[in-house]
Amino acid sequence: MSLVIDNISFSYGDRNILRNFTLQIPPGKTTAVVGPSGSGKSTLLRIIAGLLTPAAGTIVLNGHDISRVPTHLRSVGMIFQDNQLFPHLNVYDNVAFGLRMAKVDKQIIAERCQELLDLVGLAEAAKQSVATLSGGEAKRVALARALAPCPQVLLLDEPLTGLDSELHDRLAQDLQRILHATSTTALLVTHLIPEAEVISDAIHHLIDGDQSPQAGVSH
Amino acid sequence: MVSHSSSVTVRHVRLLASPATILVLVTAVIPLVVLSTTVVRSADIISIWQNSAVQKALIFSVWQALLSTIFTILIGLIATWYLTRYQFRGRQALITLITVSFVLPTVTVGAAFIAVLPSWLHHSTFAIVLAHLFFNISIVVRTVGPRWNSIGDQLIDSARTLGATPLQTWRHVIMPLGKSAIYSSATLTFFMCFTSYGIITILGGPGLATLDIEIYRRAVQLGDLSGATVLAVAQMLFITIAFLIWSRSRSVELMTFRVAAVSQHKPAVVSKLFVGALTIFFLAPLLALSIASIRTGQSWSLSGWKVLLGIQNQRGLQVDIWQALLTSGKYALIASCIALPTGIAATYAFSKNGSTNGRWSSLAILPLSISPVVVGLAILVTYDFAPFEFRSSWFLIPVVHAAIAMPFVVRAALPVVQGIPPDLRSAAATLGSSPWRRFCFVEIPLLRPAITTGIAFSMAISLGEFGATSFLTRRESQTLPIVIADLFGKAGAIPRASGMTASLLLVIVTGIIVLSVDRKPHV
Repeated sequence: MSLVIDNISFSYGDRNILRNFTLQIPPGKTTAVVGPSGSGKSTLLRIIAGLLTPAAGTIVLNGHDISRVPTHLRSVGMIFQDNQLFPHLNVYDNVAFGLRMAKVDKQIIAERCQELLDLVGLAEAAKQSVATLSGGEAKRVALARALAPCPQVLLLDEPLTGLDSELHDRLAQDLQRILHATSTTALLVTHLIPEAEVISDAIHHLIDGDQSPQAGVSH
Repeated sequence: MVSHSSSVTVRHVRLLASPATILVLVTAVIPLVVLSTTVVRSADIISIWQNSAVQKALIFSVWQALLSTIFTILIGLIATWYLTRYQFRGRQALITLITVSFVLPTVTVGAAFIAVLPSWLHHSTFAIVLAHLFFNISIVVRTVGPRWNSIGDQLIDSARTLGATPLQTWRHVIMPLGKSAIYSSATLTFFMCFTSYGIITILGGPGLATLDIEIYRRAVQLGDLSGATVLAVAQMLFITIAFLIWSRSRSVELMTFRVAAVSQHKPAVVSKLFVGALTIFFLAPLLALSIASIRTGQSWSLSGWKVLLGIQNQRGLQVDIWQALLTSGKYALIASCIALPTGIAATYAFSKNGSTNGRWSSLAILPLSISPVVVGLAILVTYDFAPFEFRSSWFLIPVVHAAIAMPFVVRAALPVVQGIPPDLRSAAATLGSSPWRRFCFVEIPLLRPAITTGIAFSMAISLGEFGATSFLTRRESQTLPIVIADLFGKAGAIPRASGMTASLLLVIVTGIIVLSVDRKPHV
């Protein structure tokens, strides 16, 4: 399940957001792209997810060029900065959403949701409205929801932003554990190096749309 | 005036709600009670329903309202989606056009569709459904728009990353999130079409009568007040009960007058085509109306204008357009002067403690769906006995207009009043301003958009009101819509051209008022 981002460029009007960005994400590993705000990190994730179209370059997933594949057919999961849980659905229905879209059998959906809610420690909250969740719980639901349809690659857009420091540290470790346990190929973008160090297996730096010389440094 | 925060007591609420309560009591509740208890012959309660004309009218009322609602919701939802999600050239103009269409006098909308449609479609269900669509799309845009506007792009993106196709995203995310607003707008549209009167008067012709038309025909043409009353009360009870049952089970979305800023999506070709077609749909009847005003029969002629302005005499066609314009203007001014303070005071009463009581919200919508024809008939019957013999007094008409317009003022003001943070009043109080000065210098400036919208809409509603006015009007106090309906009721090419001209005049006057008082009626 490897992901290759090859020579991606993107600009908004005259402003170059990404210039010839290239990155290879090994299967089953979590790779982090670290950079300051406005460096193009989120744009990179949106391009991989098919939510934005790059001016140039290709995205190759498991040897297939998915650059022209619409988002819903890419098998790319994404965790958004502010979770984006569906407010009209409860915790269980949020987690089941992707499986229902794929018309998976009800019994299998129930089993998969149970497994994921156990994994993120929210089995008790299945019937709860998402409006009643704490920041940490909402983040766990977002993670379970994104993992449920077994995406080939998981994108995490500043997933721990806005949490208090204790919760942040705990969730960072949980995330690392869960991603490792599920052998998920993941790409994390964040502006916090310590966060990237906890969650990911390799770190790349991005400054103003360019890869810095430190790119590809593993830890 | 007092703040609506914790300082509002029950006594204050009663005091603030009392002008609105009196207005509704005097113009609707008392007349409707008097109507149902005095003139009805008990035999009519059953026998009237066996009359074939009544049965036909009832079936047609339901049928055309259902059809109109389905089309309005379908087209309205697509229109709402584009207007709330996409940025395109002419978007603001289209929104203004849709907003103005909702307050256009119903008889002029009927006239405009007569002008735009080929003659074989003039008196058809199709024409009625089209005119209802033109009139009521605004309800869908304004009710569902704010709800869909609040759906962030990222929520839709997240559905896509979870594998949802565009159709699945609509079905499982967008529609459920707008569900209660969609139900609300569908119900309101159904009631509006069910009680439609002005449009049916012009477009219905002899074969297509609704219950409202039958009520008017019985009361005025056949002199069967008892039969008309049975129909009127039955209709009113049906709507009220249906509305209350419906509003118990779900939250009633209030129609708001403003839709928040749109995100910067560029529409695709199909979307552009839809928006283009929609613009043509709203512009074509108005353009056709302008053209029809300068045509008599098959040729170009200014006869319509000349007769209307008194330059050309036509036997059997005496129209004092200036008098009608003056009367309409006078009533509109008086109606808005009553509706505005009454509606704003009621809004403060409704929004006690900053939250709107659900039942109050339903009551604020209910008057919209009670037929003005029924109200007109009830008033005519009620205020006919000394010492309340007001039925021939002209001032009853603007008072009734004010009662019909008041829900619009409440709806324009409610979100604004609720949006004023209580701490803002507290801040003003700690800076030494008295409750009265707080009202003048903090609340009124914040309420200004609601005040201008309230004035514009109550004037427009008064200018176009036809149902109740048709019962209460006198020869010397005819309003423009009455003159228009009279002209369309006469045979011949010249009365028709004059009717088109008078409709155009009324559209222009209404448009100018709405656009000048409320420059951005729907941002």
